[in-house]
Amino acid sequence: MGKAYKNESNERIDVRGFIQSNYTPYEGGAEFLVGPTERTKKLMEKVQGLLKAEGQKGGVLSIDTEHVSSLLTYPAGYIDRENEIIVGLQTDAPLKRGVNPFGGIRMARQACEAYGYKLSEMVETEFAYKTTHNDAVFHVYTDEMKAVRHAGLLTGLPDAYGRGRIIGDYRRVALYGVDKLIEEKTNDKRAYGARQMTEENIRACEELYKQIDFLKKLKEMALLYGIDISKPAKDAREAIQWTYFGYLAAIKEQNGAAMSLGRVSTFFDIYIERDIKEGKLTEESAQELIDDFVIKLRITRQLRTPEYNDLFGGDPTWTTESVGGMGDDGRTLVTKTSYRILQSLYNLGAAPEPNLTILWSAKLPEPFKMFCAKVSVDTDSIQYENDDLMRPIYGDDYGIACCVSAMKIGKQMQFFGARCNLAKLLLLALNGGKDEKSGDQLAPKGRLFQGVLDYNEVRAAYHTYMEWLCRLYVNTLNVIHYMHDKYAYEKIQMALHDTEVERFLACGVAGLSVAVDSLSAIKYAKVTPIYGENGIICGFETEGDYPKYGNDDDRVDAIAADLVKEFSEELKKTPAYRGAKHTLSVLTITSNVVYGKKTGATPDGRLAGEPFAPGANPMHNRDVSGALASLNSVAKLPYECCRDGISNTFSIVPSALGESEQDRIQNLTDLLDGYFGQGAHHLNVNVFDREKLVAAMEHPELYPNITIRVSGYAVNFHKLSKAHQLEVLKRTYHGRM
Amino acid sequence: MMPVGYIDSIYCGSGVDGKGLRCVVFFSGCNLRCPFCHNPETLYKKGSPMELDALMARLLRYKPYFKRGGVTLSGGEPFLQKEFVLALSNSLKAEGVNVCIETNGQICDRSLIEAGDLIVDVKNQEEGDLKEYERFFAECVRCGKEVKITNVLVPGKNDTVEKLIFLSRLIKKYYPEIDIKFLPFRKLCVEKYEKLSLPFPYENIRDAEESDVKRAEEVIKTCKDSII
Repeated sequence: MGKAYKNESNERIDVRGFIQSNYTPYEGGAEFLVGPTERTKKLMEKVQGLLKAEGQKGGVLSIDTEHVSSLLTYPAGYIDRENEIIVGLQTDAPLKRGVNPFGGIRMARQACEAYGYKLSEMVETEFAYKTTHNDAVFHVYTDEMKAVRHAGLLTGLPDAYGRGRIIGDYRRVALYGVDKLIEEKTNDKRAYGARQMTEENIRACEELYKQIDFLKKLKEMALLYGIDISKPAKDAREAIQWTYFGYLAAIKEQNGAAMSLGRVSTFFDIYIERDIKEGKLTEESAQELIDDFVIKLRITRQLRTPEYNDLFGGDPTWTTESVGGMGDDGRTLVTKTSYRILQSLYNLGAAPEPNLTILWSAKLPEPFKMFCAKVSVDTDSIQYENDDLMRPIYGDDYGIACCVSAMKIGKQMQFFGARCNLAKLLLLALNGGKDEKSGDQLAPKGRLFQGVLDYNEVRAAYHTYMEWLCRLYVNTLNVIHYMHDKYAYEKIQMALHDTEVERFLACGVAGLSVAVDSLSAIKYAKVTPIYGENGIICGFETEGDYPKYGNDDDRVDAIAADLVKEFSEELKKTPAYRGAKHTLSVLTITSNVVYGKKTGATPDGRLAGEPFAPGANPMHNRDVSGALASLNSVAKLPYECCRDGISNTFSIVPSALGESEQDRIQNLTDLLDGYFGQGAHHLNVNVFDREKLVAAMEHPELYPNITIRVSGYAVNFHKLSKAHQLEVLKRTYHGRM
Repeated sequence: MMPVGYIDSIYCGSGVDGKGLRCVVFFSGCNLRCPFCHNPETLYKKGSPMELDALMARLLRYKPYFKRGGVTLSGGEPFLQKEFVLALSNSLKAEGVNVCIETNGQICDRSLIEAGDLIVDVKNQEEGDLKEYERFFAECVRCGKEVKITNVLVPGKNDTVEKLIFLSRLIKKYYPEIDIKFLPFRKLCVEKYEKLSLPFPYENIRDAEESDVKRAEEVIKTCKDSII
């Protein structure tokens, strides 16, 4: 056993303190990195075979319909027992998906059927007498809530699947061992037991019971693999294995949409550097450990329905790992293992998961910036978020959940709230509260508009309906999260949090650019609604031109900033469940396609059913003033009103980014510095020709591993539906003729 | 009085018009009528004049991106608007922004040559059109000016060995060390001509391919290595 780390015997749980006292910042370049070992190559070959088989079987290799997924449901599973360094699978075989009906039995049943399986009688019977999260939510939903959900004004609500977006501090398993974690939680439970038994306190005590119970199960789960994790990890391999077991337990227990990893690389680096110093590891064997860990993260799977895939295309898991960033003391948090985890994209090939997220700071070491840009240019697999913007709010040990949601690891969690369709809400306002698709009166009756639309009148009506919807939205989320806590509580993930956590209610908006351009058209051009026979607006006549979001034109960009500010303020007027703080994201994931389908023609000239732009992106091909102008428009959205993140997906053709590879890399780092220097929040970066994607669509067999960034995450292009692929092709590819 | 310029458009975000990330200002009006012109919308000096302050305010929005880059003046022919180019160049330099000017090299003016980094696009599609450049390059050399040379390679027009040798000799005379960057002729601009109801003289000439560029580079390399 190596020498003790500073802080190791500390009484309090303090992973950050451990990192700060022990890590070695690395400011050098990528020269030290090594390629994959023979063992890694062999294992990866096997995985590639499995992935290919999965693709050929329509996206799901196999399903275990006999069991309900949890920590101890399945015996130990391996890819290749002899050749694995880090072990543990979700079920007993790689890529075999487990069933998780706690969110809702109907979803589980449908998902099995979609892939030609039938949920076993045993599971059906077991859940016949059980209230699921989905059942419970619908017991309470009001008619109004059901109506807006059905119409697609609120979409993607986590009322039939796990809400996810919670990051357990999986590092605690390695740093303290499970016994210490159980001891801490037991002490907390004792302390809570001494309090007044209010409803709130009773709930806390029950939750603590569940957490302790699942920590015990976590130990047992590891023992299935012959590994005792009751004590702290002693070396790098153990640290990675222990941490992975914590994460594995979470994804066995929960099928949350986004099950993110946190910020583990610099933590691992402490163990790796010590092992290297003591001669226990070489660079090759250190990289091999990381590669093996990443292989495990690449094959995590959840069982989803086709409807779910429409919303979140490409079978993502959002195993988001936040890399880099700066420390509060000014030292960089980049370590050699930050490089090593990025190197896995070369050693194992480009891939969407884990969702590697660079926490970008102006002060990051230049060689690291250049390496990240190179990885982007070569693989299109990573995303960037502004550490200089988030660090002052979340400190220097936060992580990103899902795509853009920041939280202090182990200290904050969020209630995922999907999103509201802002473009549809505008149509609702113009139709006096009626749904433009069905003609149903969804909201209280309001005025109708005749003739040329007056901006101020439309804006006032929009505000009235925004007030109505925000109240309904928060109340709907309150129902969902009350029931999720009650019927599908995240036991192991919350066991890896402090007992007193800060909560966010993470609301969202979609269709921002459509709503903004529509308002701009009303303000600066002449827009006249055209009514159908049913008295509902079926289209718009627009005379004249108007400024469009995405061209760095303040006249319209100010409308965008005002809208998110207004929405954020309205949300805060309705108290959130468990005292959660309201936050807002401008993020669609790939649901911009479904939202578009559910939305009629809009005043900006977008036709009925046409996809929205993703996230905070300007509408496709309307940002015509160049890449930097487009970025500047998005950079104006105020992060203080959008604390759950502002997603921007950026595609540029290589020939426009620079003449040589070196130019492209340098120009991309300048672009990121320039964008984030203005307080922008997030950027997905794709550097490729549209032609390549067209070719990939026509000849998928020739381009099996094209990874692209879509909206806060990466996907394998071929896993997207045809509709999503076409939408990606429609996007603006910044070039210069 | 505030200097005003005739500007066709501003493109914010190019990595291929000089070093680093750049904004490109397209000037209206040109002294040439090249039959392969890629920007026919900039041939005539028209539109509404833009005041220097307004243009500066617009460009400085992109200063955070200009670490290695800056602003490129293109067109059209920027040298036709001398007063405005000099004023703009001075203002940009005063803000610490690098200035690069793309010119056709047929207006020989010392103050303009010194106004920024130069990219000279040499036009040699016709007979005897290289003569114009002697004076210009001689002046550049006198000023101690580094230049970049580009040339639009048009199949069948200026990609013959003979044409390439003439071009190579010209450049070698003044700048023996630098390479000519060939820009392959492309017809992506055909829609622009249609929109402007202008004839596109080279409409029936094929696009230049990567292989044409490679071949031209080889010819140039052979010339450069030889003594002639």
